[in-house]
Amino acid sequence: MGIITISREFGSGGETIARLVAEKTKFHLVNKETIIKGLSDYGIEQPPEDPEKAVSKEDIGPDGRNYIEAMHDYIYDLAIRNNLVILGRGGSFLFKDYPPALHVRVIAQFTHRVNKVMKLYGLNSETAVKLVKEKDHEKRQYYRRIFDLNWNNTRPYDLVLNTEKMGLEDAADIVVAGYRIHAEPRQVKDGPDGTDIENGILTSPAEEEADKFMHSSEEEFASMLDFYRIRWDYEPKTFLLEWDSEGNVIEAFSPDFYLPDQDLYIELTTQKPKQAWRKNRKIRRMKELYPHVSVRLIDKKSFESLLKKHHPEESKGE
Amino acid sequence: MTDKIPENNDQLKVIITREEIKEKVEELGKKITDDYAGKDLVLIGVLRGSIYFLVDLTRKMDIPFAIDFISISQYGEQSDSAGVVRITKDLDLSISGKDVLVVEDIVDTGLSLGYLLRNLKTRNPADLKVCTLLNVEARRIVEVPVDYKGFEIPNIFVVGYGLDYNEKYRNLRYIAEFDRP
Repeated sequence: MGIITISREFGSGGETIARLVAEKTKFHLVNKETIIKGLSDYGIEQPPEDPEKAVSKEDIGPDGRNYIEAMHDYIYDLAIRNNLVILGRGGSFLFKDYPPALHVRVIAQFTHRVNKVMKLYGLNSETAVKLVKEKDHEKRQYYRRIFDLNWNNTRPYDLVLNTEKMGLEDAADIVVAGYRIHAEPRQVKDGPDGTDIENGILTSPAEEEADKFMHSSEEEFASMLDFYRIRWDYEPKTFLLEWDSEGNVIEAFSPDFYLPDQDLYIELTTQKPKQAWRKNRKIRRMKELYPHVSVRLIDKKSFESLLKKHHPEESKGE
Repeated sequence: MTDKIPENNDQLKVIITREEIKEKVEELGKKITDDYAGKDLVLIGVLRGSIYFLVDLTRKMDIPFAIDFISISQYGEQSDSAGVVRITKDLDLSISGKDVLVVEDIVDTGLSLGYLLRNLKTRNPADLKVCTLLNVEARRIVEVPVDYKGFEIPNIFVVGYGLDYNEKYRNLRYIAEFDRP
């Protein structure tokens, strides 16, 4: 679903902006607290050393990494069903290839942020300077260690807001407008030429099939289907999923296999949360547009472990 | 039969205890007794994993029944050169007009069971149903009807109570997750 990510320098007002944007758009706000609570509900507790603090001192251990991986999975999972405003957490990196999304960076000069923090937390200037420096350092280290990115680089963002001279309410309005204009998907009820959605299925002519290239896991899967005498077609149909305002197709889905005797499409998928999120989103869209079409996602890892069952001496090497 | 882990290893993690299996088998035995009262029941055990389950199950049934066994080749077995699934040990009994209950240790992809059911259907049983000790819906590739399910388990590799790894661990009295090398 729709994503707005807000990356911010400490003391720039990014947190407030995120909250305001969530209120205005009715998107679900994802911040550190909601993630800790969400993971805790699944029985995943924070490791004793907060990974964010730990990462600035040295490389976090396996516990920290596992927690952060769980956090990423959790966010991707939330994104399947909800529109999100994601504060921090490297959200812009996690969702960089997944439109519709707007990636925002909120900045302000160091002295401006120190003054802000002094007022907000009632600190003297020396303490505030120390705190802001520490937080900036933590962020740089987090980005470097977890994502191998340079925190200071503003190029990845769609929108950079400098709050030194901009009110936070105005900033939030700009973000919302930015999302609506730049990121919000525009859907067309009918396909191009006003044709029915049902006709939005492209069938590859048989002649093109001959050159189709199968990955080895797909070949193996087909071989297994052959063994059990299950008829299959490889990538026989492309389903159109999303159009822009001019009627151009911007997203489509070509399931790997069709089993005619089961009237079932099969898509082999890896378990990586990033890809799973994208696939799941396509499947959901399929259900919306083509409710009579059955599609099953099959996890490559579990399929490979099946093969391990039957070839215990061979290692698959994948 | 033994509860002790046959060899010292950290690879086994019990997920269904002996007691839980016992209770479930009793529960299923009772249900099948009720459902098949007055019917001409033939239980077909799918070799080799289901044998322990089949025997324990039928000991908890109070109706007359017949037993037979069937075996089919599995994908990837070295011995299979034909490259296609075959029945390697067929039934001795005729099932025409009978109420057939296929007994499996585990149903996961549904490919094996699907083939089996297609084959058995051609012999015109009066009824054809499936009872499995373990069901792994997460691994399902093709839909198959499963009428009696013991336990739903997630996508993990298990041994025990008939299920093996390289022919070992069938005689464990519990079901364990096995960490394959």
